[in-house]
Amino acid sequence: MTRVRLSIVLLLWTFGVASHAAAQTSLSNQAAARFLDQATWGSTPASVAALQKTTMEGWLTVQYQTPSSTLPAQPINDPDGQPNLDFTPVQRAFFQNTLAGQDQLRQRVAFALSEIWVISGFSDRLAYAVPPYWSVLSNNAFGNYRDIIKAVTLSPGMGRYLNMANSNQATAAAGSSPNENYGRELMQVLTIGLNHLNQDGSLALDAHGNPIANYTNDQVTDMARLLTGWTYPTQPGVAPVNNNPNYFIGQLYAVESDHDTGSKTIFGGVQVPAGQTAEQDLNSLLDALMAQKSMAPFVCAQLIQHLVTSNPSPAYISRVSAVFQNDGTGVVGNMQKVISAILLDPEARAGDQAGAAPVSGFGHFREPVLFLANLLRGLNATLTPTSGIQVASSDLGQDLFFAPSIFNFFSPSYQTPSGVVAPELQIYSTATASLRTDVVNDILYGSIDGTTTFDLSPFQQFGANNTDLVNYISAAFLHSTMSSDLRAACLSAANAATSPGRAVQAALYVALTSAEYQVIH
Amino acid sequence: MFSRRGFIRVSSAAVGSLALRPFGLLPALAQSGPDYRALVCIFLYGGNDSNNTVLPMDDTDFQAYTSIRRQLALTPADLTTPTTVSGSPISFHGQLPSMAGLFSSKELAVIANVGPLVQPLTRTQYQQTGAPVPLNLFSHPDQQRAWETSYPQGYSTTGWAGRVADFIATQNYNANTIPMFLSTAGNNLLGTGASTQQIALVPGEPLSLAGFDNSAESQARYAAVTKLLTLNSGIALAQAANQTLSNSLADAQVLANALGKASPLKTVFPATELGAQLLQVAQVIQVQAALGMRRQIFFCQLGGFDTHADEMNTLFGLYAQLDPAIAAFYAATQELGVADSVTTFTESDFSRTLQPATDGGADHGWGGNHFALGGAVSGGQIFGQFPTFELGGPNDTDTRGRWIPTTASDQYGATLCEWFGVPNSVLPIIFPNIANFPTQKLGFLG
Repeated sequence: MTRVRLSIVLLLWTFGVASHAAAQTSLSNQAAARFLDQATWGSTPASVAALQKTTMEGWLTVQYQTPSSTLPAQPINDPDGQPNLDFTPVQRAFFQNTLAGQDQLRQRVAFALSEIWVISGFSDRLAYAVPPYWSVLSNNAFGNYRDIIKAVTLSPGMGRYLNMANSNQATAAAGSSPNENYGRELMQVLTIGLNHLNQDGSLALDAHGNPIANYTNDQVTDMARLLTGWTYPTQPGVAPVNNNPNYFIGQLYAVESDHDTGSKTIFGGVQVPAGQTAEQDLNSLLDALMAQKSMAPFVCAQLIQHLVTSNPSPAYISRVSAVFQNDGTGVVGNMQKVISAILLDPEARAGDQAGAAPVSGFGHFREPVLFLANLLRGLNATLTPTSGIQVASSDLGQDLFFAPSIFNFFSPSYQTPSGVVAPELQIYSTATASLRTDVVNDILYGSIDGTTTFDLSPFQQFGANNTDLVNYISAAFLHSTMSSDLRAACLSAANAATSPGRAVQAALYVALTSAEYQVIH
Repeated sequence: MFSRRGFIRVSSAAVGSLALRPFGLLPALAQSGPDYRALVCIFLYGGNDSNNTVLPMDDTDFQAYTSIRRQLALTPADLTTPTTVSGSPISFHGQLPSMAGLFSSKELAVIANVGPLVQPLTRTQYQQTGAPVPLNLFSHPDQQRAWETSYPQGYSTTGWAGRVADFIATQNYNANTIPMFLSTAGNNLLGTGASTQQIALVPGEPLSLAGFDNSAESQARYAAVTKLLTLNSGIALAQAANQTLSNSLADAQVLANALGKASPLKTVFPATELGAQLLQVAQVIQVQAALGMRRQIFFCQLGGFDTHADEMNTLFGLYAQLDPAIAAFYAATQELGVADSVTTFTESDFSRTLQPATDGGADHGWGGNHFALGGAVSGGQIFGQFPTFELGGPNDTDTRGRWIPTTASDQYGATLCEWFGVPNSVLPIIFPNIANFPTQKLGFLG
């Protein structure tokens, strides 16, 4: 414990020096590439050079103004007139955007949001529902968290996935109750969590040392009542009815006769008065959520996990939560300020200094999508209209837009058997571990999917100088922080190779299959 | 959420210390010959609405069921022909004909209204605050965890099957070839032990690393990779990842060797995700002798049961996958001559409200009906009681038919574990709350 605390203090001090120096000189290769490993799908020589012309703050400002790349709209029906269930074009376009889109930070944040605000093709697999939902996350990623909650709540994709669309007030004739699914998971997974949290993400405890629930089951039932009366947008050419059939373009709209106008008591004992419209009730709910103090640490800690580290210190969470609670002008939920606070925090930046020792629990494991996107960028891939890179992601346990449930592919609280919190390692098993090495093998020695190509020529400029080769790999994939052990392993494999070309393959194989690379740190 | 970390430290101390007690001082398994026993868990993810899986067909219950279930009510035409048990008829969902048949042939037992409990609980006790109940009832991840850990009042870092594996490891019962807990559905807390690792397979995929041959160049690259796995990078997450890949490499060769020598099973499995998982389990069971395994626990999963809407169609499809896969697996154990040595059982997050939700689904419940299948099972019987189909009635938590379990998942698990060979003295380590229940074993095995 003491050692960790001391090293953080030391790193804070060195960061102070670094940021002072940054005003005069450009960022080092290490600092720039390391930052880009957290804020983009992976650094490239060009992106490092671009960042070095400005500052991290300046780079962030540009990214906040860069418009969203999009996923292509998909036909509702296939050529045979059947529902179009083919996710492949959307998944492939997603990877193309990671490779070439200019909105790198927006994509990373939207992807992180998509792993909190999960919808999945698991239930009915309609491909055309995905691009509009992705746009909701992508377009709102740099807005206010309140706007994200509202936009997602009224999105047909979420309305279908968690069954808020067409949830009607109870009637004696129907004998059914308003659907509890969205009301429950909106609190549990998407905004405030199960229990009261302190600003630093730790559990607030009652006088007996027990956690304090954020809501009761009766309040879940009232949340369900509050969220009644919304139906799908009306498909063009179809007559609207109270409960429209599934249609995924546009927003849900209110049918007041299906809305429960009684008073409700929701989380924290908040009273929502009787007689309100569906939209008024929703706005009351948004007011209550934005005032609920667990939301900042609950959301910020997960964003930190997705962008920087699985094990942020309580102080780090607290600093970011404070920005979420108040952006400096009294606004709650300012996403730009929150993202800047996450990426510029001293704890995130502590490893930027040359020679900085790794902090044991720091960093996060590259989930399959991050792993593959990083390989595409680092190995200069060219995707084609028939590329199958998304199949590799699926094989490794992350079928894009097909999470097994609202709880995503992995849990933010997953701990390895050794007791370290490492969400992404939940889907890294003996099975997917060996498959991951096979993906690297396919890329370097064979073919990942028959049509995706990789350009290794930048790695082939060193002739027989394997030391320079390994240094280049370290810069390209490990922001110049490759350990002496990994360096020695890459060199021994490269030195045994029978040609310079095979030395490149061997050194890259060892580096890219190493856990040291696969943990962004 | 790792905001729970503070709490984990408190509560896992209790369970952790239990799990770490020296098993070596405990009585050994009776070792009477080269017996083999395996448990196979099929986890139904999302919360299977077991009100519609198997139900009592006497007039009173069926009328109450029909009037409350409304659009979710199955009619006699949707159900298997009733079987009479102790004078009372029951039926299975019509897409579960094989399971109904195995019930009739007394190879499958029903465990009714079972779920996680800290201690026996009545509606009155539940509604009085303060009665100990599972943490975060009606929440998917929390109730999955309750089933996996059998520590529903808190957070445990080990699962009950993992603790069984820890115990078995002290008995020198298995050869040290592969882990006792094998999953075809990824890492699972159920099989996480304090001192044992688990193995996960993707059905049909070998664990070995592709792309190596006997050339010096290839061998040097392989050596570089494997040497790295033994070195400490100083990064905790990298060490954890290295452990997983190391386990994979250690298990790969022995498993490939054993499986490579086996003749193909004659039993035809359905070409479904669950069918592929159960086929893989059957193939590993087939080579248990070659692997030197005498005790194994397997884990499979079928997802998609979170039927808040469109439940009738969804369950129809899911049961149509479940039933033939289970039937094929049982047939394969008969083909291998191990039907008496393999017990298959179900788990699920929870069952669902008897009262429907709008849009043709049901919401999160608690106690549900489960199944144990195998040659050793006292089949054709109901263990425990079906709930009283009454909203706000004696088994309801509130007014929607969320059943308070009348049998604990610990009693269910303890019955499985006793048959598996876990002595009574060890049961409290596997099931920390078991002493709270007057009857610890349900009698459906052995």
